[in-house]
Order: sequence, then C-alpha cells, then structure tokens
Amino acid sequence: MAAGATYEPISTTTLANSTTWEITLSSIPQTYTDLVLVINGKQQTGTTIKLQYNSDTGSNYSVLRLASNNTSVVNENYNNETNQPFALGYANWTYNAILHLMNYSNTTTYKTTLSRSNDVTTKLALLYNGMWRSTAAINSIRIFTDNSSITYFTAGTTFTLYGITAA
Amino acid sequence: MAINRTSKARGKIIDIPSTPTIGAATGGPGSASVAFTAPTIGGPVFSYTALSNPGSITATGTSSPITVSGLTAGTSYTFSVRGNNPSGNGEYSTASNSVVPTVATAFESIATTVVGVGGAASVTFSSIPTTFSHLQIRVYGKVTGNDGYDSTTGLNLRFNGDSTNNYYMHYMYGLNYATPGGGYSGVQNACGVGTLSQYNAGNVAANTFSPNIIDILDYRNTNKTKVVKCLSGDNKNGVGYYRVQLSSGLWNSTSAITSIEVFPNQFNFRQYSHIALYGIKGA
Repeated sequence: MAAGATYEPISTTTLANSTTWEITLSSIPQTYTDLVLVINGKQQTGTTIKLQYNSDTGSNYSVLRLASNNTSVVNENYNNETNQPFALGYANWTYNAILHLMNYSNTTTYKTTLSRSNDVTTKLALLYNGMWRSTAAINSIRIFTDNSSITYFTAGTTFTLYGITAA
Repeated sequence: MAINRTSKARGKIIDIPSTPTIGAATGGPGSASVAFTAPTIGGPVFSYTALSNPGSITATGTSSPITVSGLTAGTSYTFSVRGNNPSGNGEYSTASNSVVPTVATAFESIATTVVGVGGAASVTFSSIPTTFSHLQIRVYGKVTGNDGYDSTTGLNLRFNGDSTNNYYMHYMYGLNYATPGGGYSGVQNACGVGTLSQYNAGNVAANTFSPNIIDILDYRNTNKTKVVKCLSGDNKNGVGYYRVQLSSGLWNSTSAITSIEVFPNQFNFRQYSHIALYGIKGA
C-alpha cells in the first residue's frame, strides 16, 4: 500500500473586524476527495451557523441534529430547508465547529456532511448530519449566521478549508 | 564541469562521475523532489546526492528524482545534484529552480476502494503499514437492498480476519421515530460502529449515501485492546428511518491490526460507495 500525504489547507480567512455575518468560499478546487471546514471564533450573540452550496437557495437541504447538555439529550430533524444548519455559534467563549463534507466533487450522488460543535457556556455538545439533494459538484460554500436574527462574527474568527485526497 | 580523474577502486581504475544535468525541483510537505538527467560521459555512477541551499540538507538515491526531506515549510530552496562512485564524487550541478516546501502533514492516504457496477460484499485493507500511530476510515456508502422498513444498515469492521465474538460497541444516537438514546450491543463477531443508507426503500432516493468517519486508535500496539470511534449519519430528508450516531467500539485483542475488513451488516455495498483508509502520524 502506497501512502500519500494529504489533508492540505486550501484557504484561511481571518476576519479583521466585527462587521461580517456571511462569507463565501468560492472557486473550491475539484481535486480532493473530501473537504473539512474548521471555524474558530465568536459571535456578537449566539445563533445557528448555516451554509448553502453553489448559491442554491432552493428547498434542497435537510439536517439531523443530536444535542446534549448537562441535563438532557434532544434530537431534531429539519427537512426541505433552504439552507443547512451545521453548528452553533456563541458570544462569550470561543467555539469550534468542524464540518466534514464527503465526496463533494462527484456528480452522481447527493452531498452529505457530518459536523460537530460545542460551547462551554451552555455545556452543549452537538452532532449534525446534513444533506444537500443535488448531484452537482460543490464549487462554493456560503457560510452565514442565522439571517432571521443577524449577528456578526467577531474580529479574529477564522474559517479554514482543508482538502483530503484518497489514494 | 566535472574533472574526469582516475583512481584505483575495487581492483580497477574508473573515472569519477561527470556532472548531472539539473531538472525541475518540486516542493512537497516538508520536502522537495529533485529531478535530473544522468551524465552520459565520465565514470559509472553508483549513487547521486542532492544538496539543498540553504541548509545543506542532503539526500541520496540511485536515480532521478531524489526526495529531500527535513526542509522547513515556507523557506525557499534550490538544489544541486552530483554523482558518486568509489573513485570519488563528481561536481555538483548548477542550481535548480526555487521551491517552497509546504507544511508537513501527519495525515496520509493509504488506500481507497470505489465500488463499481454490481456492488461489493466487503472491502479489505490488508498489509496495512506500521508507520502510523492511528488509522482513519472514511466511508461514503450505501447498500444494494432494503429490508422493507426504509431503514438503515449497520457498517461493520473486522480486524485481522477475526470473526469470533471479540467485539463490543456502545452508541448514542438521534432518530426520527424515537427519543434519542444509546446502548450497548453486547458481544459481537464484528465491530458494527457505522450506518449505511439502504437502497430505494420506499421513496428514498437512490443517490443518498451515508457518511462515516471511523478512528482506530493506536492500532499497532501489542499491549492494549483496540478501540474505535465512529461518527455517522443517514439523512433521508424525512423519509423512512434516519439517524445520526456517535459510537465507540472495542476489539478485545492485543494484536497489532494488520488488516481490516469493512462490510455492511445486510446486503452489499452499492456502486459509488467510497471506502478510504488513512494513516495519522504521531510526533
């Protein structure tokens, strides 16, 4: 078995100020097998972080969510959504969100994700499984805070996109 | 320009090598690949040495290209190459183009199977290298059949061909048809940590595939039992049964893992299922 180094950084965006509530990662190379998006930062107020692929605003997204805090566990599912929630952002403590996007450049199957996020303030741990019902290859990802209650990412928040290539 | 002097070596007089012609250098993770063309005159070449500038880091090989490791990411390097034989070393070539090595990665691809037409009952990764600390298997999969319940199928692992009752699993899940929960699977003959979407159960689309990310920790130790962690999901946009799951598995063996069989609990892997093995290095 031949091994090849992978898990390469594609891009990193660090916000210089606290006036941004959405960013778009565009012109994503089609040369990898999977993508991993890592967000490290804070928001002005806590809201859900969502995404859309290839500027698709149709009702083509669904997500399953499992959340636990120090007292209970809940699961939720959202279907035929116009965007895909994949993490929760918080205001007082820095949070991490990691999104795995599998086989993003294939043009045969729907696109699925696994993501995790957590917050020490609310003692929440979250697990998401998202799906975009499209067979199009993903070439851009729009990431934004819940636009029903716009809140800004704070300065210093980073968005890093990695690519993983299977041998 | 090499000076073709002669000397006695191994009982006969041979020339030292002439100078290779430098080719293209290409940067990699903490390394560079240096290509060159062997000289056509001069003494026989037993080996070649590539030399970095700056750093004077060397690497040796018997043919082009030579990989020079141990370089600093973000630093610009050029390289020269010389030939060597028992009579001595030739002169270094002119410098290559400049390259900037990238950050060395601890995550490497080992092998991948993409299931073709007709499906596959299982995928086996054998002769797994022992040069890593941990393994990760990423599965984007679906099975070829359905059990009539719009349900999901488990994803199993077996290590080193062990099909005896040496496996255990704990899990936590969120479902659409029941409250979230968790449990313990009891003794099993395979480590069923993942989930796979079933094929065309009810009106479930044919192209919904399930993601699974499976970490196998400290796989080559011979002192501890082996533990597995898996994050998986089966999202069907509200149709049928679907779930998101975090599970932990155990193989009750202290043997180093040398092969892994990956297979569905029911049916076969459907075409386009993607099963990839990666290695993670420790410091």
